[in-house]
Amino acid sequence: MRVFLDLMWYFKQEKSAYISGIIMLLVVAFIQLAPPRIIGIVVDEIAQGTLTGAGLLKWIGILIIAAILMYSLRYYWRIKIFGSAVKLARLLRNQLYNHFTNMSQAFYQKRRTGDLMAHSTNDLQAIQQTAGLGVLTLFDSLATGGFVIVAMATTISWKLTLICLIPLPLMAFLTSWYGTMLHREFHQAQEAFSSLNDKTQESITGIKVIKTFGQEKEDIEDFRKQSEDVVNKNVKVAKIDSLFDPTISIIVGISFFLSIAFGSRYVLNGELTIGQLISFTAYLSLLIWPMLAFGWLFNIVERGRASYDRVKTLLSVRVDIQDQKDALDIVPSGDIQFSVEKFVYPNETDSVLKNINFTIKRGETLGIVGKTGAGKTTLLKLLIRQFEGYEGDIRVGGRSISSYKLEKLREAIGYVPQDHFLFSATVGENIAFAQADASQETIHEAAKVAYIHEDILEFTDGYKTVVGERGVSLSGGQKQRISIARALLMNPEILILDDSLSAVDAKTEEAILSKLKQNRTNKTTIITAHRLSAIQHANLIIVLDDGEVIEKGTHKELLQNNGWYKDMYYRQQLEEIVEHGG
Amino acid sequence: MEDKGMEKIPVMNGKDQRKVLFRLLAYAKPHKKTISIAFGLLLLTTIGDILGPILIKIFLDDYLTPRNLAVEPIVMLAAVYLGIQIMNVLVSYFQLLSFQKIALKIIQQLRIDVFSKVQSLGLKYFDKTPAGAVVSRVTNDTEAIKDMFVTVIVTFIQGVFLLTGIFVAMFILNAKLAFFCLSILPIIFMIMRTYRKYSSVFYQEMRERLSQLNAKLSESLQGMGMIQVFRQEQRLRDEFGEINQKHYMSGVRNIKIDGLLLRPAIDLVYIFALILVLSFFGVNSFDHAIEIGVLYAFINYLDRFFEPVNNMMMRLSMYQQAIVSASRVFKLLDDEALAPQQTIVAGAAIKEAKIEVKNLSFSYDGKRDVLKNISFTAEPGQTVALVGHTGSGKSSIINLLMRFYEFERGDILIDGNSIKSIPEKDLRTKMGLVLQDPFLFYGTIKDNIRLHNEALTDQEIVNAAEFVQADQFINKLDGTYGHQVVERGSTLSSGQRQLVAFARTIAANPKILILDEATANIDTETEEAIQIALEKMRKGRTTIAIAHRLSTIQDADLILVLHQGEIIEQGNHQELLGKQGLYHKMYLLQNSTAERVEDAVGS
Repeated sequence: MRVFLDLMWYFKQEKSAYISGIIMLLVVAFIQLAPPRIIGIVVDEIAQGTLTGAGLLKWIGILIIAAILMYSLRYYWRIKIFGSAVKLARLLRNQLYNHFTNMSQAFYQKRRTGDLMAHSTNDLQAIQQTAGLGVLTLFDSLATGGFVIVAMATTISWKLTLICLIPLPLMAFLTSWYGTMLHREFHQAQEAFSSLNDKTQESITGIKVIKTFGQEKEDIEDFRKQSEDVVNKNVKVAKIDSLFDPTISIIVGISFFLSIAFGSRYVLNGELTIGQLISFTAYLSLLIWPMLAFGWLFNIVERGRASYDRVKTLLSVRVDIQDQKDALDIVPSGDIQFSVEKFVYPNETDSVLKNINFTIKRGETLGIVGKTGAGKTTLLKLLIRQFEGYEGDIRVGGRSISSYKLEKLREAIGYVPQDHFLFSATVGENIAFAQADASQETIHEAAKVAYIHEDILEFTDGYKTVVGERGVSLSGGQKQRISIARALLMNPEILILDDSLSAVDAKTEEAILSKLKQNRTNKTTIITAHRLSAIQHANLIIVLDDGEVIEKGTHKELLQNNGWYKDMYYRQQLEEIVEHGG
Repeated sequence: MEDKGMEKIPVMNGKDQRKVLFRLLAYAKPHKKTISIAFGLLLLTTIGDILGPILIKIFLDDYLTPRNLAVEPIVMLAAVYLGIQIMNVLVSYFQLLSFQKIALKIIQQLRIDVFSKVQSLGLKYFDKTPAGAVVSRVTNDTEAIKDMFVTVIVTFIQGVFLLTGIFVAMFILNAKLAFFCLSILPIIFMIMRTYRKYSSVFYQEMRERLSQLNAKLSESLQGMGMIQVFRQEQRLRDEFGEINQKHYMSGVRNIKIDGLLLRPAIDLVYIFALILVLSFFGVNSFDHAIEIGVLYAFINYLDRFFEPVNNMMMRLSMYQQAIVSASRVFKLLDDEALAPQQTIVAGAAIKEAKIEVKNLSFSYDGKRDVLKNISFTAEPGQTVALVGHTGSGKSSIINLLMRFYEFERGDILIDGNSIKSIPEKDLRTKMGLVLQDPFLFYGTIKDNIRLHNEALTDQEIVNAAEFVQADQFINKLDGTYGHQVVERGSTLSSGQRQLVAFARTIAANPKILILDEATANIDTETEEAIQIALEKMRKGRTTIAIAHRLSTIQDADLILVLHQGEIIEQGNHQELLGKQGLYHKMYLLQNSTAERVEDAVGS
């Protein structure tokens, strides 16, 4: 029940809806008492032969009024209470989303997308249930239960009421107990289902590999096994689930039996009329719902609490990359001085970067090369402040990057990541991602520099072709070039190409690089690459190995060094020289 | 950024819905026996439920009202009543359980069918269908169908049994009143129909909004890095808020329709039924005495009557959802974009691995040819390299060679037999493909090299890894070969992933090696090592290789230069350089500093 306290801020916020809804609930619970009472009176009048046409009409009239009243009240409290619950889900969903947009990459590194999705769907669902069904159940079961018991005890017989109530708490207890067990098994079943889902996802994404190795049959067998597991876990759920109905029916049956058995004795000794006995059984059937509901309530509330705790925890994760108090509200520009002594990814122990020091002047080009895993991308991620917590300082225009507003820093940077991610939107919208109101000319211009304009024109809908998860499939090179256009559209102070030319061929790479050169006078460019040709013309080239700078200089200077760069360069070139006849 | 690709679900008419339902029910056939037992148990439960009020009626009318206090028959009645209750508990438990078990089995079969179907589809299907949608078919849609089988169908069957039983009992007790009570049925039926008509639309709409909401969220989470770097947080928040608002609106609409036509409406009908019964007995009582017990039984039956009705109503939306899901699942099951089928010719097998491509033309969409009249031959053990600008048709040749797509014009022969006539198993085991984007599965490094091939020993796996120099980085990982690869191997670098993929191919020991830009994502240093490995591997294997970097294929026996689907130059490296054509130009572009290097080397 603690969750109701946790949610009190919301109930207060939606005070009028909840209070009016609950009042309506209470009124309905009260009116509900009329039909059984009327049944009893009519039965008695029939039995005694005192029923008249006018009397019958009166009772029927009252029933009709009660029915219509209950119908409209039931409709309105649903709107009030359930409506508020849906509103809460909307509110929390927006809060979560906003929070997600504030989280740094360190956060996303730790958590799987699937888990975050689960919080925003299943957990919100459970909270919505608590704020709707939970509130309803609490008040309705207490009110209906209370009113009915009072009516039974005062208008019929308190003794009979006590006797018949004996088995009912057992029902509430058992159903609540089953509920807890069910929840546990259900959780297992859900997990089995979700791993089946993962398995399917993987098989489909990796379908080419499976086909290549001709392993369709084996994979289907693997799937069969996993689906068997899903069945077994669900049978466990079914075993508990099937307990509910029989349990309820036996306990209700016993209660009825007690009421008839003892009630008859009271009828015989004149304490009750037959009509009262029939009223009594009708009241008894009104009690089943509140008892059951009370059992459910615990489960709803328990689930709601767990979910709300998870969502709250998620919402309270500190925004770890924040603007400093008096952060500069200007777009950084100028030389980049990079001096990082040490950087370790959160929750890891090995340092990824060690003693990296270099300076590039505004308008220059920096090339970063090195083996896979040498730390090239990490270096860039520090520069764009996706990660913090390094020892050292990174300065742009003489000031530490953390002294600028994050927004301003990023306004200066056009980033083309290694894993080119496009959104489910048109090509045009993807290119104009940083500036949704960019004109068609600007978009085309960026696309031309990135050498993708011609390709786009050949798509079925040109710039209106939808790409991304739900759109047409593009080649890796096309995606890379669209990503480049997206960054270029900003005409950024600093352009970062993180191995962004790997999937384009040499001809295109050459073309893009020379276009960039023309377009980016006085603007800084940073390129990481595997292929040395992409960075050969850079003003400064640094060679990273295992997180350390092992060489630094221009292409020419590096060729003077007897190091990795020269070695690599020679290896790339030597074969040709031999080809040329030595 | 609207979700333009959202799947629109066509509105199905009643006939189509029934068709889908019957097709679903056909899945129950193999379980006939269990189902009949379950139905037998259900019949018993229903009889038990119906008998209770009748016993009480007998007691009220024959013993209590006339004050006939014969102990023995009353005790008998009580004993029978309690006996039935206890019996009913046991029987109904097993009845409920067996229905659920059957439903689960049925769904498992359906799932396996869908998954197998997916595996048999050609890559063409996956080109036009996003992976997420296919996954949904296999899991989420079948889950919706499961919910229907477990709750809807079972609820309906039980409801129908109970309702029939109640009416039978009513007719036995008082045919005239029972006949009046029949008038409730059309009213309920009308409410159900109206509810179904509106709720199916509203419910569907809400589902769609929810899936838009989830799609937006999922995409945002995956692309959050980009959103932040490009400072689009606020715009995306607004977009998300808008979808969220729409979802809220349809949520409220659903609450309204539920409030108007579900429980409150059924409760309303209940009171009218009560009025009917009371007036009937009331009016009759003016003429003659009536049996109170019958009145009691009728009221009691009415109470029971509306519970299954409520249950069925609440399940209607689930039914709708399941039918929509089922129709999507069946659409997939009926899809004819199958993987190319083999028409096996006796004796056709891969032995020497001589590959001949003859006059091959191909188009993905039937409009634009991506391959135009391609012919070449790779002798056993030779390496043929394909080079050309992006979109020149290199990958298409590989797609056809691997039988990922069907072709009609021209032919590909291996050892003189068309690849359409070679058993698929032979093709798959003797041809090894290495893709540009290596795909790693959830599991250990070892699992990823072995895949499902249980015949491979651990030693063979290690050997394969050593062969491609992958052992160096694998040995540095926690748990080495037992290292757990996370989702798509995202903790490994692309080069490392590629090395694992190489090891995987080498472990399978194919006769033919196909490299689809396999060295594009590997850093130069690793590539150096891999070049050596590939050279070793290529010995005794016919190899078809696509390469961006010409340096990696210089020793190929034959180099084909493709341009817009045509071979415009061919020969070995030297010959092609001699031609001073496209290849020469490409070569110069890639190696524009060659002279300077020459100088450096010369000095």
